[in-house]
Amino acid sequence: MCGDKEAGEARYKKTCINCHGPAGKGAASYPKISGNEISYTTSKLKTYRDGIEIGPNSALMIMMARPLTDEEIVNLAAYLKDAKYK
Amino acid sequence: MNRLSKTFSTVTASAVMLVGLITNANAMDVPTIKSTEVMSGLENPWDMAFLPDGTMFYTEKCKGLSVKTTSGDVNKLYGMKDSKGYTNSGNDLFCDGQAGMLGVVPDRNFDKNRTLYVYSTSNKYHGDGCKTNFEKCDGNIVMRFKVSKDLKSVSDRTDIVKDIQYKPFKSNQPFGGPGAHNGGRLRIGPGGYLWVTGGDRHRGVCPQDSKLLCGKVLRIDGDGNAHPDNNPPAGFDKRIYTYGHRNVQGIDFRPSDGRAFTAEHGPWHNDEITALVNGGNAGWDPAEKRGGRGACPDKYCGYEPNQMDAVDPAVRAAYTPMSDTRFEDLMPSAWNNNGFSQGTGSAAFLKGSNWGIYEGRLAAGIMGIAFGDTPAGSRIDMYDLAADGLSIKSVVHMPLGFSKRFRGLVMGPDNALYASTDEGEIYKITAD
Repeated sequence: MCGDKEAGEARYKKTCINCHGPAGKGAASYPKISGNEISYTTSKLKTYRDGIEIGPNSALMIMMARPLTDEEIVNLAAYLKDAKYK
Repeated sequence: MNRLSKTFSTVTASAVMLVGLITNANAMDVPTIKSTEVMSGLENPWDMAFLPDGTMFYTEKCKGLSVKTTSGDVNKLYGMKDSKGYTNSGNDLFCDGQAGMLGVVPDRNFDKNRTLYVYSTSNKYHGDGCKTNFEKCDGNIVMRFKVSKDLKSVSDRTDIVKDIQYKPFKSNQPFGGPGAHNGGRLRIGPGGYLWVTGGDRHRGVCPQDSKLLCGKVLRIDGDGNAHPDNNPPAGFDKRIYTYGHRNVQGIDFRPSDGRAFTAEHGPWHNDEITALVNGGNAGWDPAEKRGGRGACPDKYCGYEPNQMDAVDPAVRAAYTPMSDTRFEDLMPSAWNNNGFSQGTGSAAFLKGSNWGIYEGRLAAGIMGIAFGDTPAGSRIDMYDLAADGLSIKSVVHMPLGFSKRFRGLVMGPDNALYASTDEGEIYKITAD
């Protein structure tokens, strides 16, 4: 399934941007999530969506990932792969 | 036109003119607010500090201390472990989560003594502590430097506070990584003393403890000694001005009377702006088995109940209040963000008649969160505080036209407000 970058960007700006910053660059103690392969981001989001803990902010990510559909996940991953701030 | 309608239209015309005059007079007192980006591409710029000529020192949380001179040059003065390109570095300084190099402020007599104070996380004084999250871990310090006349280097580093606690390991909490609730703002008060703000570092017993410096606001001199008039409860470390804080990252002093006001992050509820009282208790007590509570995850009740899920803020506030009224020496908040927590972390009183009706109000930077049903809310607010500091008369969202994670706020010598953002910019906000 190929991701739709524009749809991914729109979905990103709904909630993800509030912690991870514009274009996934990271902000405060929330990590940079741009510049990764699509398979990496997809796998992380699906792991969180399944309720599995990875790092110290897992609880927050599990909460945020739970409502994501497969389509939204692959769109987000496609957007974030090449996303750049400014 | 008959006489009646002529009179009517004259009266109406006069009324319109009168209203026009009144509207005009009000409009002249409401300033036009504009912002310009003065720096960008920074990494987590945390705080700024100005000299009267406009020289700007600033910190980047994971990189170090730099200065932007009046001619526009940027000199990297003091780096941290793994920083590159700095004239000098402290390899004991590091960042993790909310911890790192944070507050910066020049001494009141900088023009004579070239003295600059910087707050940072450091492993230099860990000693035998820091082996678990449930013991004393001295991991935050206040350093004093001499700045060279050409602003190209700093020297004579002296650690004037060595024992502010730090959270060394992750714990079973949301935002539970190391370095949590690390406070970090430094400001010089009206009497020339140094004020240092702290956080509870996710350790339940911290804020109410008499000796631990976590969850406290300190008032000290340039050598790290307690202000002689500090008045905490008997048996408390005398450097403590107020205790019972959760995580204070904003402090400034009201121009009319010098009163200290803090801006503090709430736990899923109730960010606070609070007027400080010498020796007062900000009312935060996240320890387990107190205040009617049972055991809590990793002995910290700060996010309970159901800390990993969205819960009505009012329910959480009842369980572990930001300002627990069971304390007789409680300093109640002036403002509590309508019961929400959205990341309130910096504060600066607006100075200068160019600010019009906003002159003397307290600006606070709110970074935004957007969890559960709490709206994101990134903005700068301006509060018209009541004289007694126990309430606000009004709050206005600063009409900036954009929304960022505002991390640091400080007035410049040009009566502009400078704001740093987590996204990496420093903005100059003018009012005319």
